Amino acid sequence: MARVVILGAGISGHTAALHLRRMLKKEHEVIVVTPNSKWNWIPSNIWVGVGKMTVDQVTFALAPIYRRKGIQFHQALGVAIHPEGGPGHTKAYVDITYTDPTKLGEKATIEYDYLINATGPKLNFAATPGLGPDGNTVSVCTPAHAVEASKEFKAIVEKLKQGQRQTLVIGVGHGTCTCEGAAFEYTFNVEHELRQAGVRDLADVIYLTNEFELGDFGVGGMTFTQSGFETTSKIWTESLFRERGVKAILQAHVEKIEPGVIYYEQIDGTKNTLNFDFAMLLPPFRGVDLKAFDAKGQEITDQMFAPSGFMKVDANYVAKTFDEWRAEDWPSTYQSPLYANVFGVGIAFAPPHPISMPRKSPNGTVITPSPPRTGMPSGVMGKTAALTIADRIAKGVTAPAHVASMANMGAACIASAGSGMRNGSAAAMTMYPVVPDFQRFPGVGRSKQDTFGEIGLAAHWIKYLLHVMFIYKAKALPGWYLIPE
Amino acid sequence: MDNAESSISKAPLPTENTLRARKNVLLQGWRFIALNIRMVKMILKGHH
Repeated sequence: MARVVILGAGISGHTAALHLRRMLKKEHEVIVVTPNSKWNWIPSNIWVGVGKMTVDQVTFALAPIYRRKGIQFHQALGVAIHPEGGPGHTKAYVDITYTDPTKLGEKATIEYDYLINATGPKLNFAATPGLGPDGNTVSVCTPAHAVEASKEFKAIVEKLKQGQRQTLVIGVGHGTCTCEGAAFEYTFNVEHELRQAGVRDLADVIYLTNEFELGDFGVGGMTFTQSGFETTSKIWTESLFRERGVKAILQAHVEKIEPGVIYYEQIDGTKNTLNFDFAMLLPPFRGVDLKAFDAKGQEITDQMFAPSGFMKVDANYVAKTFDEWRAEDWPSTYQSPLYANVFGVGIAFAPPHPISMPRKSPNGTVITPSPPRTGMPSGVMGKTAALTIADRIAKGVTAPAHVASMANMGAACIASAGSGMRNGSAAAMTMYPVVPDFQRFPGVGRSKQDTFGEIGLAAHWIKYLLHVMFIYKAKALPGWYLIPE
Repeated sequence: MDNAESSISKAPLPTENTLRARKNVLLQGWRFIALNIRMVKMILKGHH
């Protein structure tokens, strides 16, 4: 009998758990440890944030799904990994602290044969004073945050209806943030709702970002072929901003936020302020506060994890200049280099470097988007780790690892630009691979055939279809595994 | 804000025809099918 423990039940952890349960014989155990009782389809949180969806439409309870599938579920926080075991244990184990209201605060240990760290990000609002729901801005990172954002947005719409001019700032709240795509989506959903409410003319909508240019999205931008011409995601995105009358502030690191005022520095070192009535700024991410200890109880967190708190896996972490970056630097098995039975997937793995060109202001402030590794790549990584573990349990520990590098993986980003089955809109963007490979695809680093963008109602339908399909899949309803990650 | 604004002001502006096409249900129905096929082909390249 083997036991697989998965820390985290986001897109990557939940995908790994379902695939493992499907592939492993009943005698083996699959255990999920996650502090949340519900699964959340995060890409739809932006619709909760403008009041077009409810929390119940983007979440569901995990316990009934896991009960039905025969997966053990602990609503608890993973606190520490003991990959070499320790006193009183014959195997490696994890320390957990329950967040389940019936056992709140109780501590326990769970031994494992294989461990998948899919803990996702810590929403690091503390990196910027005044950032976040406990500060002076709203967020759409969680369903609860999105509900708050929606309430504040409705209040702004009411003020606009009374004829009061309002400034809405949407973007990222730190120079090293990722998820610019989500900020972009929320910007255009807000803009769409303002038009629907008939108050657009009184609202200034400003997109505040750490991207060097529009269309970067943390992936260094893309090159599309359209109507017989090659065009960049920069021009393509700027066209949407011009059409919808949205202003943009680029290359910005938000230093602090006071009520109604954002203080930010730009890449040229200048420092500016921006007044706002409503601000949705995403936080930077770091790894969750997971520690690691060796058999003697000595802390080895700095060996297993990068300074960012994300787990080191089979990537090349040697510091290199931008020119020296290679597609092969990116991990493919997500296996820990120290412990072959430990995997880090989704946002939890430490990327070897950004994808966008790194830049600093003359003051030394890093203003560079961090690489996105959410959504589709997260699901693929979860499944890849699950396949490797299932093989090793069935065939022995020497079974080769399955591979899925972000440098050999495509991604589709359907960025909503307004909800509505007849008047909605979205920007459908796909790229292959996510991490550019300039050796394989000289010039732009990506396949011209598979990297494209299109704006229209069809893309909104696809965004809605993905919402329905991925919630169906996550609920493990009949045939769920036929839906690709 | 100037750096972005001057660039945005020079970006191609979609024509009325383009905007209408983006909302045309028949055309978008076709684009829905075409985009899905194209995306699935791309996605499967990186999948097991």
